[in-house]
This record gives sequence, C-alpha cells and structure tokens, in this order.
Amino acid sequence: MTPRPSPQPSRYRVIGATLMGLAAAPAPGVTQVQSPAPSGRAVIESLAFQPLDFEQPEVGRLEVEGVDILHLEDRGLPLVTVHAYFRGGYGLFPREHYAAAMGLPALLRYGGTSSRSAADVDEEIAYYAHQLSFGSAGGSVTSSLNTLTEHLESGLSLWGDMLTRPTFDQGEIEAWRTRQLEGVARRVDDPARLAYSELNRLLFGDHPVGWEMDEADLDPDRLEPEDFHSTHERIICRDNLVLGVTGDVRRDEVASLLGPFLSDLPSCADSLPAAPIPEIRRAPGIFLVEKELDQAVIAMAHPSDIRLRDDPEYFSALMGNAILGGGGFSSRLLARVRTEEGYAYSAASLLTTPRRHEGLIGATTRTRPDHVVPAIEVVLETMDGLTSEAPTVDELDTTVSQIVNGFVFNFDTPSSIVARSMYYLAQEMPEDWLERYWTGVQEVTPESIRSVFAEHLRPDDMTILVVGDPDRIGRDALATLGPVTRIEVR
Amino acid sequence: MTRWPAIGLAMVLATFQPVDGQRPTSRDAPSTPGDGLPRVERIVLQNGLRVLLLPRPGAPTVSFVMQYAIGGVHERPGETGVAHLLEHMLFKGTATIGTTDVEAERELFEHMDRLHASAVAAAGSGDTVEAQRLRDEIDELEDEARTFVVGNEFDRILSRAGAQGLNATTTSESTTYFVELPANRAELFFALEADRLANPVFREFYSERDVVMEERRMRVDASPGGTLYERHLAAAYTEHPYGQPVVGFMADLERLGRVDVERYYRTYYGPNNAVLAVVGNFDRGEVEAWARHYLEPIPSGREPRPVDAVEPPQRGERRIEVEWDAETALRIGWHVTDSRHEDAPAIAMLSAVLTGGRTSRLYRRLVTDDRIAASVFSSTGPGSRFAQLFQVDLTPVQASSAEEVERVVYEEIRRLQEDGPSLEEVERVRNQIEAGRVRRLQSNLGLAFQIADSESLFGDWTATFTAADRFRVVTVDDVRRVARQYLTPENRTVAILRRSDSAR
Repeated sequence: MTPRPSPQPSRYRVIGATLMGLAAAPAPGVTQVQSPAPSGRAVIESLAFQPLDFEQPEVGRLEVEGVDILHLEDRGLPLVTVHAYFRGGYGLFPREHYAAAMGLPALLRYGGTSSRSAADVDEEIAYYAHQLSFGSAGGSVTSSLNTLTEHLESGLSLWGDMLTRPTFDQGEIEAWRTRQLEGVARRVDDPARLAYSELNRLLFGDHPVGWEMDEADLDPDRLEPEDFHSTHERIICRDNLVLGVTGDVRRDEVASLLGPFLSDLPSCADSLPAAPIPEIRRAPGIFLVEKELDQAVIAMAHPSDIRLRDDPEYFSALMGNAILGGGGFSSRLLARVRTEEGYAYSAASLLTTPRRHEGLIGATTRTRPDHVVPAIEVVLETMDGLTSEAPTVDELDTTVSQIVNGFVFNFDTPSSIVARSMYYLAQEMPEDWLERYWTGVQEVTPESIRSVFAEHLRPDDMTILVVGDPDRIGRDALATLGPVTRIEVR
Repeated sequence: MTRWPAIGLAMVLATFQPVDGQRPTSRDAPSTPGDGLPRVERIVLQNGLRVLLLPRPGAPTVSFVMQYAIGGVHERPGETGVAHLLEHMLFKGTATIGTTDVEAERELFEHMDRLHASAVAAAGSGDTVEAQRLRDEIDELEDEARTFVVGNEFDRILSRAGAQGLNATTTSESTTYFVELPANRAELFFALEADRLANPVFREFYSERDVVMEERRMRVDASPGGTLYERHLAAAYTEHPYGQPVVGFMADLERLGRVDVERYYRTYYGPNNAVLAVVGNFDRGEVEAWARHYLEPIPSGREPRPVDAVEPPQRGERRIEVEWDAETALRIGWHVTDSRHEDAPAIAMLSAVLTGGRTSRLYRRLVTDDRIAASVFSSTGPGSRFAQLFQVDLTPVQASSAEEVERVVYEEIRRLQEDGPSLEEVERVRNQIEAGRVRRLQSNLGLAFQIADSESLFGDWTATFTAADRFRVVTVDDVRRVARQYLTPENRTVAILRRSDSAR
C-alpha cells in the first residue's frame, strides 16, 4: 500500500470552517442548525474524486510435496484460514454414485476418522471453536479451516485427519441419509426451489445438472462406507489439490505447517473422468407445476453457446446480461417488472457460461397469480428489446463504471483474493484473468451487446416453467403463450 | 483436553489504530487504549445525529450504516408495514434526483392521494366496483407521473461510483440503510444521504406498495415457514407489538397511502433518531468534516413515541395449528427477558447448550441419536429491546411426528432443569464466544452494523463488545435457574404446521 495523498485543499477549508463553527457551538441539547443542507443534484454533480491510491496485494505461490499453495499474509487479527480446492465432484461420475459423491463433503465432516470417532471430532471442533466447512460443486470439492492462530497446529492436525483418514461411520451415513430423504420429501414445499430444479431437469435431462436427489439415489445399497471410500479415493488426493493460506502466518512457516498433511495425502491413483457434455433441450414450451399458492414462480431459459473465455463476445454478453437483469435496480428487468409495473419483488436474468459446454440464458421472477401472464410478456418484451436495439451509452457506462470504480472490492479480504486465485489455478484459467476481465469489459460497446444478443438471445425459444395455481393464473390466459404441458411432481 | 487460555483481546483490538496515525479527538469519552474496545470515535452533531467513526487499515473501501431507531414496534394497529414501506420509498430519489419536474409530479401526487382516500372509503363501505375504478384511475395517474421520473437514479449514481451492497432492512425496532464505497468516493455518500434525509420524494408510491405486497407473498403467504413464524409470534404476543409482522398485514398495506408514509417519515426520521457508523480505510478528519458539512444542517425531528405496551405474563400453554400443503414443522416459544436484562447471558448460554451445533443436547438427541428430526435451531427475538421470545424451530422427519419431537424436547429441557449443563458444556460455549469476538472484527460492514445497532438501540456503541464479557461469568447454576424459571409449560406457545387431511 502506498501512502495516502494529502487531502485536497478544499477539504482543508471545510475542516477549518468546521473547527471555527465548533468554537461557537451552542450548549448541548439546543438544536441550532444551519439550513438548508448542502445537497441535491447540483452538489452531487460538482463532486470530484481523486484517483484511488491502491496497490493490489500480491499473492505468493509455493510448492510443497508437489502441491501448489497460494499464500497471503494478514497480521491484523490472530486468525488463519486454510482453503483446499480438489478437482472432482458428483458431476463426473455415473448416476449410481451420485448420492455418495454428493454426500462426500458431509460425511468427511460428520463421519469420523481412523483415530477420532464422529463424536470426538464434533467435541474437538466445538471446544477449540474451529470453523470448518466442506462443500461440493459438480466439478469440485472444497474445504476450509478457520481458527485462532494459537490453535492452528491442533486445527490442522484434526482437519488433515478428516480429509485423509475418514472412516465414514455407518451410523452417520444413515443419519445423513435420513436428512436427505427428508429433503426429498420437502422439495415441493418451497416453490422457488421446486421451479429451479424442475427447469434444470427439463433442460438438462439425464445430465448431472438436471439430476435431483430421489429415493432411488438414497438406496442403502448405494451408500455403504465402501461407496464413500471409493469416491474419496478418486477426489481427495494430491494431484487434484490446490491449497490456499491466508491470515496470521508468514510465508516461511507455510511449508512446515502443511507438510505433515500433504505427506499423508496420497497421489491420485486414476485421473478424473471428463465431465459429460449435456444435450440441452432446444424446443420452446410452457410447463406448469400445479400448486395452490398466493404467488407463482416463473423461471425460463434456453441454451446459450456463450463460453467463459478471453473474447469480446463473452465480455459483451456479461455486460448485456447486467443491463438486462443481472445488474440490480439499474437493470431493465427490475426497472420494468418491479419498478414500473409493481408485478414482483424481484426479477433477474440468468446467464451461465461453462467453458466446455453450452450454458443457459433466461430469467426468473415471482408474482401473484393474475399477473403471471403479463409478467412473462414483459420479461419477453424486455429481452426482445436488447436483441433488436443496442443499449444506451448511459446504460453501458453505468455497468462498466460500477465494475471499474468498484474494482477495489475484489481485494477487500485476503481470503477472497486467495480463493479467487485458487479457482483460476484449479480451472487452468490465466493467472491474470482478473486483469483481462477488467480490460475486456471496458472494450464492450453498445453495438457489440446488440450483436451478441441478436445471435444468442431468442425470447421465442424459451422453455418457460410456472409453479402456481392455474385456476387463479387463468388456464386460458396461460395458453395464449403457447401449448401448456402439465408436470407432475410428487 | 485443556481449556485454552483467554485470548488477549485488548491486544487484538489495539491494532485498530487510525490509519492516518492521528489520535482521535475525544469529544464524547471515546474508548481508550487498553480498555479492550476498538478505537471508535463518537461524535454527536448539533442536530443530535450520532456519528461513529472507526478507521482501519486494509483495502481502501468504506462501509456506511445509517440506522434509525424506528421499526415495527412503533406502528399502531391498522398501520402495520409502514416503517418497511417507508424504507422502500427512500430509494425513490429526492426533489432533484430521480425527476425531470418535481412540481409536476407533486400536482399528480395530490390528485392520487385524494383518489386513494376515496378508494379506501369505497372499499370500507363494501363498494368494491367503485374502489377498483378509483384504483385504476390512480394507476393511470401514476403512469402519467412516471413521464417525469428518472427511474432508479439514486441507485444508478451509487452504482456508477462502484458502490457495493446498496440495500436496507427493517426490523421490529430499527430501519437500517447501508452501502460500501471505494474510499476515494466516500464524500458521495454524505451528499446523497443528506439529500435523501432532507428532501425525499415518495414517487411511484402505489406501484412500490404493490412490490411490498409481492414481498409479503414471497416471505409469508407463499412460504410455509414464513406463515408459521408470523402466526406463532401473533399467538405468543397478545399485547406487545412484537406480535405484529414487520412486513405488514395485507389489509393494512392496501389501506396505506402516500400521505401515511410521508407523515411517518416527517414524524420520526429526524437525525436525532439516527446513528451513522463509518468503518474502513478513510481519513478521520475528512469524514468528520463531511458529516458536519452535509448532515449537521438538517433539522432534528420528534422523538419516537415510547412503546408502552407490556406483554402480560402468560398464564397457560397456547397451541395453534396451521394447515398447509407441506411437511410438518414445529415452533416452540417461551417468553424470556429483553437482551439487556441480567438473565440474558444465561439464556443465550442455555440456547447454545440446547441447539448450538452438533454437540448440543437437542441436536445430538433429535438429529444424531434418535433421528426423529432433520434440524433444530433456536433463537431469541424478534427484537432485543423488549421481552423476547426464546424460540426453538424443529423439522420432524416423516417417520416421526411433531408430538414425538415435542415430547423429546421437553424431556431434554427437564434434564437440564434438574441437573444443569456440565462444566464442559459451559466452557465450550465460552470458548466459542471468545473466538467469535475475534471473528466478528473481520468485516468492516459487519462492524459498522454492530456499533450502529448498539448505539441506536441502547445508546451505547460499546454494548456489542461488552455483552461478551457478561458471558464469562455465567455459571452452571445460572443456566439451570433460567431453564427452570422461563422454560415452563404455562409460559410456552406451540405452533405446528401440518398438511390438512384434504391435501394428503
């Protein structure tokens, strides 16, 4: 960090005036205020801002036992966080292994180790007030330990034990299975969750993105300790791992702290299978899940071939999505659906951009039953507007300015800086991806957004799913959007 | 296992030196080095606005939290939801932001307000056709007024400056506005906030009221959990406004007009009812100067009327059932104390012993051992200034029942009432609280929320930090005593949500 510049002279004048004012301050409790307050458009437009004086923290990189470790020191508080990112997740294995792969992170946390029972692990975590997290995405398993510096050694010993020597206690597997079955039964209770999972199922079919856990997945025969051990062996191994360390640890301490854990972690016996390529549904349609509700959920999407890469098309789509509905109150969908029409509390677009296969482009909102059809029409009209006409210079400028002026927030916490770098490394993305992104978004033009949306956004091709009460929505009204297919859910 | 030594918290907090190296000018007994508190400076402006400044090293960003000590408990029956609706309206701009012709807008507002009063009267007399005709006319006028509106300009100005997390929240006792800005644009916050406090214009009111109704549908009417929560609080509180929903009843929202919200704003949104907390990497002198320059000239408002309703002692168990096309859920609540009461730390300890993580008694018994529940949580609320409800939320599994889960909860509570927690259980909770004291210092925005809330609700920004000290002295006997005193059958309210027979 470089020294802060001196304040502008005008600031000194303000401070001086304030100090003089203080000398003549009235007695406490007496309200004596000047008026009016200096405010309003003229004042705001007259503000001038100094450039932000900021140097990006440099993430250190070292290799221990063949594993890349990223490090960023932060001595402000006596806390250390260690992050682990393992390539490999439930999305890489056949359906019969889905539940075991999905449940792996939970059972690493709950299932005990060869030297500690599940209860001992719980007691130790609670006693030392460690924070441990275990999670999974389709292509990765992540875990982290956050602990006070003074308990780092014991915390690492426990965390390493959980990752490298799990026992997958049968009782804990059964307890996890019971909770999962309850989740299956309750899936239909939450209309938003139901809508998103059903839309994924419709679009992705028999692909991991479209899978939803069911009773067959949770058959006890698929959830023996051996099932977890074999999934663990495939994912939790050295060649799949990237590590990150942030907080109250010097760089020269990292190798000795993490060495024991890494030497216990075996090399991967097999390379990971490639992720399956989905065949995403292309035919448009209106689908209805009937549920008596005071508010319906609407979710719609179609396939999109926009990929995450250092390419003007990608950056144009990102900025276009922010203008369409990904950019909060300044975006068109929220302005139209919420602010102007009052149809919904929230309305947003969605854009997914996987690197190796197609993603989705679409939108979602929730509204009272009799507003379902008009809300869908407004969403489609708003999309259509961006395919036929370029956004205004002002819209694009707002979107890009938010990213450029707020760029410092990418460096707000050491943990987020290191986690991002770990992701780039694990996904084999360029190390300087953030800088490329910063440059790329500034090169987007209104016309490049129109062009990319004209090619990739097709409102008429949307698969539209509605969860709601057809009698209050109006069956005939819904049919004006197209033939309606009813979906049965348990 | 040995108990780890107490963390040198005073040493940790001593690292919170102002980034410009200046010592804060002590206006109002700020904390002093070695007292174990962050180096917050508290300044009271002439109009009564309390400004809390905490400069910290780190990335050059600044978090702002502006909290008004006004919320759901200040609403009269029939006007529920007004505080929350006002929160929405304060993002609609001012006399110069968000408009091309504010006078033309105001003429239309007056017309719409008269129509709204007539529509409410028509609906009240049962003339639904006339009420709808008037509402349609209001919609048309609002469309006409919209021709003068620059939509969401307040948001757009901040977005262009790189702002993050612009939002607000309303609770039973407070309304809080927050945003983070790059440090070089911190002055923008003061200029905009002063304008919004002094000159707000409640444009697009009726469509925004529709938005709030959709928010209510999302959070309550279409949500089994939200409905159960609302009904449970309403059953537990018969007199105190903690029983009213902050989002408002739908019938009240339909009656609220622009003038009601504006009156509420004029009455309570004075700077004397507000606290501004600023935390981040900023120049203390510069920020104080901006606070004085922009915010100090705004006149004070009225003091909020005191909440004098007192919930009478409960004289017997209350039970309610909510029918819903959803799996069973259960809530049990007991009236306890406000959060500053001397029993509050022991009640918090009791809550942690019962449901704080996988080692807690109810989790271990219900979820891990007996496997009759999928989850169990507890909390105290819905606010903190008045006598709270200690609430336990439970999700019975399908193979079990609400009654079986409830029976086991009472069994575990009886065990605690008889034997108290073990020393190890108490020690474990203390350790977690100590570690929590360090972790909560990690986020600028989180710190700003904590000190603003403490100052706003209790007139003492240090309360959020000193509260943890009170846990240190809680004993096994304290926990047993509060369990016996408060968790009694006659003091509890039980709410069960289950599928109706017709929906099975």
